[in-house]
Amino acid sequence: MAWREKTAWITLVAMVLTYGAYFTLVSGVPLSTLTMLELFGAVTVFQVIAVVIVTAVLAALSSDEALAKPDERDRAVARRGASIAYFVLMAGVITVGVVMPFRDAGWRLTNAALFALVLAETVRYLTVVVSYRRGWHG
Amino acid sequence: MGEGRLSNQLRTLRFLAGEMTQAELGAKIGVTRQTIAAIEQGKYSPTLEAAFRIASVLGKRLDEVFQWEG
Repeated sequence: MAWREKTAWITLVAMVLTYGAYFTLVSGVPLSTLTMLELFGAVTVFQVIAVVIVTAVLAALSSDEALAKPDERDRAVARRGASIAYFVLMAGVITVGVVMPFRDAGWRLTNAALFALVLAETVRYLTVVVSYRRGWHG
Repeated sequence: MGEGRLSNQLRTLRFLAGEMTQAELGAKIGVTRQTIAAIEQGKYSPTLEAAFRIASVLGKRLDEVFQWEG
């Protein structure tokens, strides 16, 4: 497995687990603004630390692979992921910034914006791992 | 655009070139071992530049390494 595929898997799994837990909590039980803020901060810090630790362990085990620059296939796959995620992000921005303000406000808007960001990033990493697994001829 | 796919003789030509490994070929043209493996399996079509580099390293013409099956 290519090094950048491994790191994409790590980030994808960490994002789905941590932000999945966050959005499940904030959508199920009414929480105060401060609690939501603390929860989001904790989830973000945990996700970053988990990704850094797992990536560092893998880098130590895979020696020079982690130090290699991305090659043309890595760059092509990354471009594909970013271009598809862009449309998801645009749809999220239009929904949160143009449609939702007519009927929502406050933390609902904030959480919807965060969800759009997380969804776009999830689609990006999902596209990357699928492109590595199934092939890419772009 | 018509149907078709790019096939290649990389695996055979590597063997004929002194049993060159994927990692060795990758190092000579500036890609990873995994990318050479993906090209051999038909999971990735290399850029024209990389294709010419591969042919050059193997001492073959481009059409001896890569073929279009349309």
